[in-house]
Amino acid sequence: MIAILDCNSFYCSCERVFRPDIAVKPVVVLSNNDGCIIARSDEAKEIGVGMAGPYFKAKRLIEEHGVMVFSSNYNLYGDMSWRVMETLRMMMGKENIEVYSVDECFINLAHIPITSLHEVALSLKETVERWTGIKVSVGVAPTKVLSKVANRLAKKNKVITNCVLVLDSPRKIEQALQKTLVEDIWGIGGQYADKLKRENILTAFDLSKKDIQWCRKNLGGVVGDRLLRELRGEKSRIMESPLTEKKIIATTRMFGSPVTDINSIKEAVATYTTRAAEKLRRQYCAAKTISVFVVPKEQNSGAHFRHGPSIGSYTKLMQATSLTNELIKPAVSLVDKLFEAGRSYKKAGVMLSDIVLDNSIQGDLFLRNNKNERRLLMDMMDNINFSMRNDILKFAASGTTRNWKMQKNFHSPRYTTRWDELRNVN
Amino acid sequence: MIDDNFYQSIYAGTKKFSQDDIQTANATGFGAAADDYAERGIDLNEQLIMNKPATFFFRMNGDAMSEAGIYPGDILIVDRSIKVASGKIVVASVNGDLVVRYFKQTMNKLWLEPANGRLGNMVLEEFTEYRPWGIVTCVIHLLDPVLKTFNTPRKHKK
Repeated sequence: MIAILDCNSFYCSCERVFRPDIAVKPVVVLSNNDGCIIARSDEAKEIGVGMAGPYFKAKRLIEEHGVMVFSSNYNLYGDMSWRVMETLRMMMGKENIEVYSVDECFINLAHIPITSLHEVALSLKETVERWTGIKVSVGVAPTKVLSKVANRLAKKNKVITNCVLVLDSPRKIEQALQKTLVEDIWGIGGQYADKLKRENILTAFDLSKKDIQWCRKNLGGVVGDRLLRELRGEKSRIMESPLTEKKIIATTRMFGSPVTDINSIKEAVATYTTRAAEKLRRQYCAAKTISVFVVPKEQNSGAHFRHGPSIGSYTKLMQATSLTNELIKPAVSLVDKLFEAGRSYKKAGVMLSDIVLDNSIQGDLFLRNNKNERRLLMDMMDNINFSMRNDILKFAASGTTRNWKMQKNFHSPRYTTRWDELRNVN
Repeated sequence: MIDDNFYQSIYAGTKKFSQDDIQTANATGFGAAADDYAERGIDLNEQLIMNKPATFFFRMNGDAMSEAGIYPGDILIVDRSIKVASGKIVVASVNGDLVVRYFKQTMNKLWLEPANGRLGNMVLEEFTEYRPWGIVTCVIHLLDPVLKTFNTPRKHKK
């Protein structure tokens, strides 16, 4: 059997751990730059705050009901996520844990006898809640897709299930499938859902009665095949090892306010390049292609929420590299190419691709090879920045003014990662 | 099913470290004899943190616990995985506030007790919103002002 453990309104829960005064108040968390609502507590859902909607549209509702608003505090969420996953690794052994995203993870329970599954699931939930303060839900079933079904139902009926649901008999699985609409199945997107509904397949149960050939034909070949098998309780997705090497690394941000001068954009792009190169080095890789894009502000419309089309370009390097300075140079000259004077821009991004392992960089006959020393320099920079925090060492290209930086008007303290932002107690 | 202190015994120390982290003299001439006896240096985390994912840091604001050796500005190490028991120093939320007190319990009464003669007990009754947050396992009291320059809390705008 497989379990999926999923944190309830994760970002909101993280904020609440250190704020007992808002334990039962409605809470929302905003995306980078305070643009959209990306997390809502149950109480906020109840009063009708929509998901992924722009903040300014929900503002009246939020003020009327005294909803607590937070800018996203990724330092805090990242640390709390680590705590949740580490607790599970300590309890179940790290070989049985597959971290699926920042707030959910699959747990292999193959070695647990059927009769103790509920007890184990409950103890996972309770231990995580006690150790980390984060509320979670657990779904247990024979396959990953079914465990997602179970988890969703556990969350929907918190009072009855106590956030734990185990599908350990064919009858329970059938009931759960009947209670799940096709659009709520993991892996069924909007388009497939519409298609299925037109065929009068409304619930997961209806779908599970279709034959394999039909699913292959109508739900994207082998993917549909697997999905059907999973729904029927035949395992076809195995525990996956984490995506340790990303194929593409991107860093993009909205500017705090529209930017019109080229130097600010260059500084921003240099900073994003620095961040992306750090990520690159952390996975011991190097990149051969660097792309930069900028998004101009829509010129005539006054609406906050429409982007102009993004304008981008890329450079292929002579040799794959992970050195920040070698990446900043082409990135900044791409900005020269893209920038049009007189326009204002609201977003920029850097993307590194053609990623190879650092030790397998194809050498270029005509380049001198003093890479090692410079790699050492990067390591030192990374270490200093990591231990001192706040980018204490940076390349001059990333600038010192940073008037393009993100808006974070409702930022909570980084309670778990900064000495000077610890929670006060009386 | 899960024994409360079962997992804690597995977890000693908190830092990943490798052979490379061990300091040697790195002498270019004669290798120092002491290199043969090199070992990992003392790591405060190892002693003071039993269960890392459940351990959090707080800063003491008032003088409610000064007779127990916790002074304003001190850093508290708080472990959420330890069970609350009468006589332990806890961080708890009481009606939305986070406070540090002795937790006391008799047959029919629960209360939070300060270590400061000027303050009274907080009796926990039916309608008190009370939740234990964690157990205070350690207090860090900085003596020399040179350390405090690193640690003064920054005013955070709400």
